[in-house]
Amino acid sequence: MHAFHIHYRNTQGTLMRILTAVSRRGLDIHYVHASPAGHGHRADLLLEVNAKQIGQLCRDWHAIVDVTDVHVGTPTPEMLESAAGSAGPHPPASAGTNGRSASAAMA
Amino acid sequence: MLRGAEIFLQCLRAEGVELVFGYPGGAIMPLYDALEGSGIRHILTRHEQGAVFAAEGHARATGQVGVAIATSGPGATNLVTGIADAKMDSVPLVCITGQVRSALIGTDAFQETDVFGLTLSLTKWSRLVKSIEEIPSAIAEGFYWAREGRPGPVVIDIPTDFLKAKMEFVGPVKFTSQPRPSDAQAEAAFGDALISLLQQAKKPVALIGAGAKLSGAIPELRQLLDYLNIPAFATVHGLGAVIPSAPYYLGMVGMHGTRAANMALHENDLLLVFGARLDDRVTGDPSRFAPNAKIVHFEIDPGQLDRVRACELPVIGDLAKTIPATYKKLQGVKLPDWTEWRAIACGEDRAELDPRGLSQLTVRFLDELFGRLPENSVVIADVGQHQMWAAQRYRSSSPRGFITSGGLGSMGFALPAAVGVQLSKPDTTVLCVSGDGGFQMNIQELATVRRLNLPIKLVIVDNKYLGMVRQWQQLFYQRNYAETDLSDNPDFVEIAKAYRINAERLNEDAMQEFPVSEQTGDSLERFLKSSEPELLVFDCAPEANVYPMVPAGAALSEMLFDDE
Repeated sequence: MHAFHIHYRNTQGTLMRILTAVSRRGLDIHYVHASPAGHGHRADLLLEVNAKQIGQLCRDWHAIVDVTDVHVGTPTPEMLESAAGSAGPHPPASAGTNGRSASAAMA
Repeated sequence: MLRGAEIFLQCLRAEGVELVFGYPGGAIMPLYDALEGSGIRHILTRHEQGAVFAAEGHARATGQVGVAIATSGPGATNLVTGIADAKMDSVPLVCITGQVRSALIGTDAFQETDVFGLTLSLTKWSRLVKSIEEIPSAIAEGFYWAREGRPGPVVIDIPTDFLKAKMEFVGPVKFTSQPRPSDAQAEAAFGDALISLLQQAKKPVALIGAGAKLSGAIPELRQLLDYLNIPAFATVHGLGAVIPSAPYYLGMVGMHGTRAANMALHENDLLLVFGARLDDRVTGDPSRFAPNAKIVHFEIDPGQLDRVRACELPVIGDLAKTIPATYKKLQGVKLPDWTEWRAIACGEDRAELDPRGLSQLTVRFLDELFGRLPENSVVIADVGQHQMWAAQRYRSSSPRGFITSGGLGSMGFALPAAVGVQLSKPDTTVLCVSGDGGFQMNIQELATVRRLNLPIKLVIVDNKYLGMVRQWQQLFYQRNYAETDLSDNPDFVEIAKAYRINAERLNEDAMQEFPVSEQTGDSLERFLKSSEPELLVFDCAPEANVYPMVPAGAALSEMLFDDE
């Protein structure tokens, strides 16, 4: 797992562009937190990526108009804990009762 | 007090906009209501995709920002392919989309779409305007980002009520970017490293891409290449950057590149990349791309570096500065003698095209046409086999002379793009080459051509197939021609005549004679020199294939040269 810290000006769509750079690669976002930081904002992401993807993501983020800085770092305990706590089956298991299908359960 | 629409148009004029392409509708109607007297010429196309491709044609031909206008909902969504095309090929484009009344946004109102969200990954920048007061800054910033660095598309989405609202307008504004720490680039140091690499190299080559042309530094690039005198080749978007008659020029490289270019790119030990992004059409199998090469990458967009593998020396910055700086740094530097390498890479045994190239009658046809074009002509190619043949045979040294949808490969691009090009360059011969599949995707723009009396020379290479897909089906899917049969095409000559455009058909048999007969030559001359729009349908063999071809997943050295 790698932690990414992206500093950006909180203009229309910038945070979405930061997240889209991840989602277009089919990567799961294990942790995300965005908040004001200094004169701008900061997005912290926890991603499971390989070395090549790290380079690609950093370059993509740097290319976003209102991104001011990108750092790669070690995940904090808080990030790892939060990511572990929210883990669930992908996709979520169907709601069911005693093995019946969801639609049958809701009938 | 001015209406938002009037302010909008004044701000466009302040950005130098004189020509826009669009299609009206409900939400954008107030903007259209203000057009008269604005000083902006609006070109009505017959589909919003036609508008955005025409805007791209204008931008690609001139380097200016292309502007396309559409209404909300389906009008906006019809722009998406063109926006994606501009993103992939670095075309400066501003798309203006009407939006429903601001109070209705988010309610799934009539003709409402989230065009801002829809185009996030396809745009450099976008803005949903939230008040009439924002209009000047939105336009100023949009045009700035469309032009800045690596050019690209932006979207300005404007709710209809802000176009109708009024305010006191003091004038357009200017936008300046806040510098980013990463933008500071120490270019000065690259010279010594580059010299060292050149002095170690035994087989250096140069690859030229679109970025070299976008920089405007073509004379400087040619000066540098002449000085280095190393084998050089171009991507499809780099065609025209190098003078084709230069003894070191090997033509187009990549999936349908020349044998000489592909072999040189495969064998080199030092690759100088000027404004190319090393995409998969150029590299072949990335894991086997130029296995011995160290890469020096001249590029304005840091995001394009290290995509295939880490480059030895990134030279980040505007090529208009880094290319002349390179030439200056190399003056008086002793470089190795590359005569032997040049003799191998540029030698006659590595023919420019495989020996069968000119046996393809379609290739001969395109050769015949291109040979009769004035030097400053513009050739626009759609997407498919004809595109690759056209690229292979293109011989002009006009940097903006070959225009095609490269990165996205969007069929239907050529006809509307030709509209944009001809309007931008009224005194230029514009040759638009399409396949029978792609021509039908924006065939409605024949109406635009006729209405404006644009003397575009339209060619359809009619093999009655989706030819490039059929070729792949033949070579890699055991000739299973699934859904590529277009043998029931309409009569394009009759369709053109219905649009009141002169049209005739030429059978490929006319190309059997070499050189062509006087009668055929006269037909081609009449076609090219007519002051009217003209359509020429070239009926050709249905199963001709484009060679050389690097199959998907193969290395550049593993070209196919024929059907066997």
